Amino acid sequence: MYKFIKNSEFDVLIRIADNASIPFDPANTDYQAFKQAIADGAELQDADGNVVADAQAYVAGLP
Amino acid sequence: MSIANQGFPAFRADLNNALQALVSNSSGSTAPSTTFAYQFWIDTSASPNILKQRNADNDAWITIGSLNQSTDVFNLAIAQGGTGGATASDARTNLGLAIGTDVQAYSANLTTYASTGIGFRNRIINGAMVIDQRNAGASFAQTDGAYNLDRWSGDSWSGSSTTGKYTVQQSSTAPTGFNFSLKVTSSAATSSASSDLYTIKQKIEGYNTADLGFGTANAKTITISFWVRSSATGTFGGALKNSAGNKAYAFTYSISAADTWEQKSITIAGDTSGTWVGATNGMGLAVYWQLQVGSSNATSAGSWATGDYYGATGCVNLLTSNGATFYITGVQLEVGSSATSFDYRPYGTELALCQRYCYVTGGNSYSNFYSGFFNSTTDFQGPLIFPVTMRSAPTLTSTGNFQVISNSTFSASNLALGGPETTQMTAKINVNVSGATAGYGGTMRANNDTTAKLILSSEL
Repeated sequence: MYKFIKNSEFDVLIRIADNASIPFDPANTDYQAFKQAIADGAELQDADGNVVADAQAYVAGLP
Repeated sequence: MSIANQGFPAFRADLNNALQALVSNSSGSTAPSTTFAYQFWIDTSASPNILKQRNADNDAWITIGSLNQSTDVFNLAIAQGGTGGATASDARTNLGLAIGTDVQAYSANLTTYASTGIGFRNRIINGAMVIDQRNAGASFAQTDGAYNLDRWSGDSWSGSSTTGKYTVQQSSTAPTGFNFSLKVTSSAATSSASSDLYTIKQKIEGYNTADLGFGTANAKTITISFWVRSSATGTFGGALKNSAGNKAYAFTYSISAADTWEQKSITIAGDTSGTWVGATNGMGLAVYWQLQVGSSNATSAGSWATGDYYGATGCVNLLTSNGATFYITGVQLEVGSSATSFDYRPYGTELALCQRYCYVTGGNSYSNFYSGFFNSTTDFQGPLIFPVTMRSAPTLTSTGNFQVISNSTFSASNLALGGPETTQMTAKINVNVSGATAGYGGTMRANNDTTAKLILSSEL
């Protein structure tokens, strides 16, 4: 599972299993795994722990 | 050489003697009774004869060289700047340059070195298992895909991700010429299954493999060499594969004696078809050493196969025995059809090569990580500069406890990369604090904790 935190200054992508912070870099293999996981149906949470309903649509708009 | 005032017959005899002495260079078995500065003398008492010349002070003879009357060859002595030899072979021997004894004849290996380069031949990074930033020599319970020693990772999979099957540790057990090895220890007796995928592997960046020309008619032959030791004996295996997972070359090697170091060499003709990543920061190729690979993930050894394979069929299943061990070091992948000596690089160079993929910082009670400022009363941020340009913007994980020291100290938590400022060269890291003053500067550091570390990973 992943958590996406968006605030006024920056966006943060967290892999919940190990609290890893993943950059939005298409060459980063953790980021590639995140996009693949969401495409495969993995859960994406917001900063408050709520499941993001349109995760796949959101990820489709990422680099 | 002076002729006395005398009668003509005696004068004639003296003159003839003087002329004969001149034209024969005073040759004789004894030195001329009367000598002059710069006078020549061929000493016929020695064999070969010796050509000498009187010195300027006319008080000694200088040896110039020898005249071999059998071969009719003049030799200049070494002391006079010559070789002392009548033939090229004698000259080399006299000068201490005998081929095969003092110097080596031209070797075809020189052609290989000329084409592949003498340094930086090895495409494997940390092949001598010297660098272990993540675990610093501690045992690591392998999880699927996780990295253990620098640049080395493992598969732990049997239909789904598994844990607790084997550990990996940097070991000081090593063959002569090496100080470390990568040690695998089976953690349980794991029954073999067709879907098993337990391996040790290294993925190599495309920038470091593009010149191999795989996928083209000019694909180069490569050789993989390594030292290996295991508690088990028999046929072991591994594989080379592309990033797309549709071309693989399985290989086998034999371990004939238990718990004994053996060096192995595998030569593979480059793949002239298939899709291989070129000069990019993606994965160029991956090399696998199988610990236990089931039939679904294995193929016949010795040729390129189309498919996603990680090893050869019919090999030892190491993990079926709890406590079984497997050591490997001195791993080299190079261009050419034969293995050359291990390409030992300076420690600092090897570390820098590893840090392109993983940078671990910390380890002291108050290790300083980066300086920055309080963006608000609850947020501190600043840039962490990497020692080398990383392969991609890295993922950040951390261990231990942190604090920010400023006008006071503030416990820090929830480390996170802050947005697009994180690149291959620097990361902006935000941490949560409480009760700070916005605008103040400070330094993020370990909070009296030697386990406090930042781990930045851009592995393949």
